[in-house]
Amino acid sequence: MNESYKVISSSILFWFSQKKWFVYSVIISIFLLNLSTPVGLTVPAYHSLIILLLVFMLVTFEPIPFPAIALLTLVLQVVLGVAPPDVVASSFMNDAVLFVMGSLMFAIAIVHQGLDIRLAKLIIKIFGKSKRMFLAGLMTISAILSSFLGEHTVIAIMLPIGLSVIKNIDTQQADGKNAVLLTLFSIAYGTIIGSIGTPSGGARNVIMINYLQEFSNVSIDYWKWMKHAYPILIIQLVVAYFVLQFTFPSSLNNIKMRGFKKNVGKTDVKKNINHLFSCLIIIGIVSSWFAFNDIYGLGIIALAGALTFMIFGMISWEEINKNTNWGVILLFAATISLGFQINETGASSWLVLKFNELLATLPSNSMNVSWSIMAVLSGLTANFFTSSATVSLIGPMAIELHPTDISFALSSAIASGFSFLTVISSPTAMIIYSTGLVSTKMFFRVGILMFSISIIILYLMSQFYWVTL
Amino acid sequence: MKILIAIGGREFSKPTLDLGMKIANSFKSSTTIAYVGKKISQFSEKDVSVVHQNLDDRELYRPGIRTLEWAYDFLISKKYIEEKDSNKFDDYLLVDEENSRMKVLLKGQQSDKIDLIMRTGEIIEQLKNEVETNKHDITIIGGGGNKGIHQKLVQFIDSSVFVVKNYSVSKKYKILLPVNDSKGSDMAIETAINFAKSYKLNVEIVSVPEGKKSIEEVEKILKKTKEKFSKNRIKTSTKLIDGPTVNSIVNYAKDDSIVILGVSPKNPIMKYFFGSKPLSIAQKCNCPVLITK
Repeated sequence: MNESYKVISSSILFWFSQKKWFVYSVIISIFLLNLSTPVGLTVPAYHSLIILLLVFMLVTFEPIPFPAIALLTLVLQVVLGVAPPDVVASSFMNDAVLFVMGSLMFAIAIVHQGLDIRLAKLIIKIFGKSKRMFLAGLMTISAILSSFLGEHTVIAIMLPIGLSVIKNIDTQQADGKNAVLLTLFSIAYGTIIGSIGTPSGGARNVIMINYLQEFSNVSIDYWKWMKHAYPILIIQLVVAYFVLQFTFPSSLNNIKMRGFKKNVGKTDVKKNINHLFSCLIIIGIVSSWFAFNDIYGLGIIALAGALTFMIFGMISWEEINKNTNWGVILLFAATISLGFQINETGASSWLVLKFNELLATLPSNSMNVSWSIMAVLSGLTANFFTSSATVSLIGPMAIELHPTDISFALSSAIASGFSFLTVISSPTAMIIYSTGLVSTKMFFRVGILMFSISIIILYLMSQFYWVTL
Repeated sequence: MKILIAIGGREFSKPTLDLGMKIANSFKSSTTIAYVGKKISQFSEKDVSVVHQNLDDRELYRPGIRTLEWAYDFLISKKYIEEKDSNKFDDYLLVDEENSRMKVLLKGQQSDKIDLIMRTGEIIEQLKNEVETNKHDITIIGGGGNKGIHQKLVQFIDSSVFVVKNYSVSKKYKILLPVNDSKGSDMAIETAINFAKSYKLNVEIVSVPEGKKSIEEVEKILKKTKEKFSKNRIKTSTKLIDGPTVNSIVNYAKDDSIVILGVSPKNPIMKYFFGSKPLSIAQKCNCPVLITK
């Protein structure tokens, strides 16, 4: 057989084996494009839903880089006649996108300051009386910080603390292994749970606030979100503590709480000043989110945080540029743009109509059923597709279900934050998984219990607490 | 000769590393020991990278390093490398060499024959890149786990692939060499001669009559192959076995066989979708199998 033929066919096969989901997604999309438009749906609306499906498949299986998916989403919106170029361009950038960009850069600047050493010292001081208290402290501090600074910042700060206390534990023994898992899961669950607490806890929260403002003219400020979400966070934390103690019983004898002692001793005056300045900037930004988010928007304030760190020379642009995930920013911008078009073209109304028709066939058709389906669907989709992308794509449908009742939109965004099932669902889960100490099966096994309980807590709070606000 | 040894978990990579190093030692070849870390979702890759940098700054092991440390300790215990105070593993540097590839540099390291590297991502893609960049001749990988990996490795990697299955240090092995008149078979013969010479192993040459081939033709192939070994003063025996090719060879191979096969001459597309005889043999045999390219 001709050698060059073998080389070429082998290269094509390798490309196919790596990109098969791209090929399948394109084939499915072309097939759908050739079907007749469903009744009640305009051609642009139908095409926007096909792009939505394509994006879901590409983001889930990652056959091509995220920036490529983002560009493809923009190109297809124009080429398939979903919206004219100017409309697509204007929906590409808004406060939610600025928030994603700003919070990622702000996170890098914070992590760069090495605050983990100081935080470890603080946690030991407050919670150091017993090892169980220390783990509860890790979880609580992770949750509080994550609720304001976002998951990716907090997990980057807290993981070294966690790993230093479990550094030399023998994982061959059940007791040691459970101590390791208990420590890692305490940090992970604290961080994940915390991210629902305030709008700045996660990009999905800001995206939903943005959609509510645009589609329903409903404004939710920082306080209002906190009043709805923080009680859920507190209940979830207590539940998570007991779930983890029950799942990973351990004597904790191997945990060495003062693993950071040596490093803490190394801090000098320059570092102290640096840490003090960092804390002031963080407090300033969080306070601004509380006080000025109506005027300046959450995104601009987050950008101001990163800007302040750069102006004071506490981080270089090169460092921020190297560690910022520009692909994710582009992808969120493109999916938010698609979310707007799904709403504008009437595709979300059509989907909700079909959803309600489906509900009408069920024996008990009530608000509770539609709420439950929407919340569980949001939570599950987020676990297989990541939370922020889920909200940016299915958020318009959640709002459309009950445009005047914010409990649907809030529940959808909060349920999207229950990333307990898969390791791809959030940066926290992926970082914990990347340590090699937690398997995907283990994550799911513990997560399924936590996910179910969280949905029940959310339901009860939306029924009995939110109505009192 | 350049050898790439892919390791995964610690305990089940022991036979792979052991056999791999024996081969590397007998051929005096430079060796790369590679650990391929878990693929990170694009959503989190930068976050994970920031966390790992943070761990390095705190002198905490980043994921994967523990496996390489285990490999390093194993090499020392088997005296493949000599440990001195100046090159202890706790005193390592992780050097970013290119995208997804990191090299563990032991300060004061004397030997440039053995490299410890870590890659992150999809295993086939990473091993393919490693082989292409560093021109490895043999890739050695464990026999456990997903069998699809072995098929893809044989299909896409530009080196011979040695699947180490059910290997025991205490066993005395012999080479089982199935031959026919293909080009791939000629390469397998060359490799078997080198292995037998370096290792002082006995060789059993077998052939199965396929298609319209007569017994006489097959015997002629066996005789011709035997002569090649005789010229190199290697002890051989020959055997003509009957039946369906794959099952006959799989049944004939024993636990103490190292099967050396040539790559199939079949169209790559057909191989991808329908497999090939060498691949089926490699998957079904319960002993180490080397597919030469």
